[in-house]
Amino acid sequence: MEFKNLLLLLTDDTDEEIISPCIQFCKIFRCRLFVLFIMEPFRISRLASLTHKKTNELHKTIEEQGWKLLYLVEDEATENDIRTSLHHEEGNMIKLIKNFVENYTIDALILRKKEATKKVFVASPVMVIGL
Amino acid sequence: MQLRISDYLKPEVIMMQLKQQEKIAVLKELAEYLVENKLVKDGDEFINALAKRENLESTGIGNGIAIPHARTNAVDNLILAFARSPEGVDFSAIDGKPSHLIFLIASPEHKKSEYIMALAKLSRLLRREAVRKMLMDAQSPEEILKIIQENED
Repeated sequence: MEFKNLLLLLTDDTDEEIISPCIQFCKIFRCRLFVLFIMEPFRISRLASLTHKKTNELHKTIEEQGWKLLYLVEDEATENDIRTSLHHEEGNMIKLIKNFVENYTIDALILRKKEATKKVFVASPVMVIGL
Repeated sequence: MQLRISDYLKPEVIMMQLKQQEKIAVLKELAEYLVENKLVKDGDEFINALAKRENLESTGIGNGIAIPHARTNAVDNLILAFARSPEGVDFSAIDGKPSHLIFLIASPEHKKSEYIMALAKLSRLLRREAVRKMLMDAQSPEEILKIIQENED
């Protein structure tokens, strides 16, 4: 099996533990890594309501957390000579993934099996690798 | 960890108009400027670290922005510099457009959290179109700094 372009999906629900195994995977298959952090507006509103936080404050925190995760992936990728492309998007997760897979000819998607990403297993147009 | 971009960016490392227009030449111009200002100890090592990162994948993030960055022991502390190019520099950005606003970030190898935080804060700030426009229109380094101070929270 060959993987040229791999997509790592990150959400506010993803922790840093996914980074190292994902980088190792890219190293083995010598693939380019696209990293996509997705913020879903409805999820932020729901989280704000559950945590009694202001939506705009939570939005800011999650947005910054997203960039931080993206650059953490990039930093480890750089140390391992893996090409990375960072993307931070807001919108419907499934639509964004489908567009991304098409635009960048993604071969497979890597994600952390968490609540926010369950639906991706069903809707993804390419193979999903859950870590 | 609270980190403010404006605490690291000083007027003396803000270049209102870059002379060079080619990516590596721009990085060299910035490096020379930082060496002159005693923020970089070893100019060659600094350039090599930035070029290595740049060769792996472009740091042109689109919307006229490039954030060249590297962790290197050519610096003692986290440093930030800003340069503006009215003509634009081809950083092979993801949207194919030239970069007009160039923010350089470097930190020593051991200051990874600070470095990542600075990159995250800056990327978030520069997503805002209004901020980008103000930075393009600013007339002085002090004005650039003021825009960042007023918009980074």
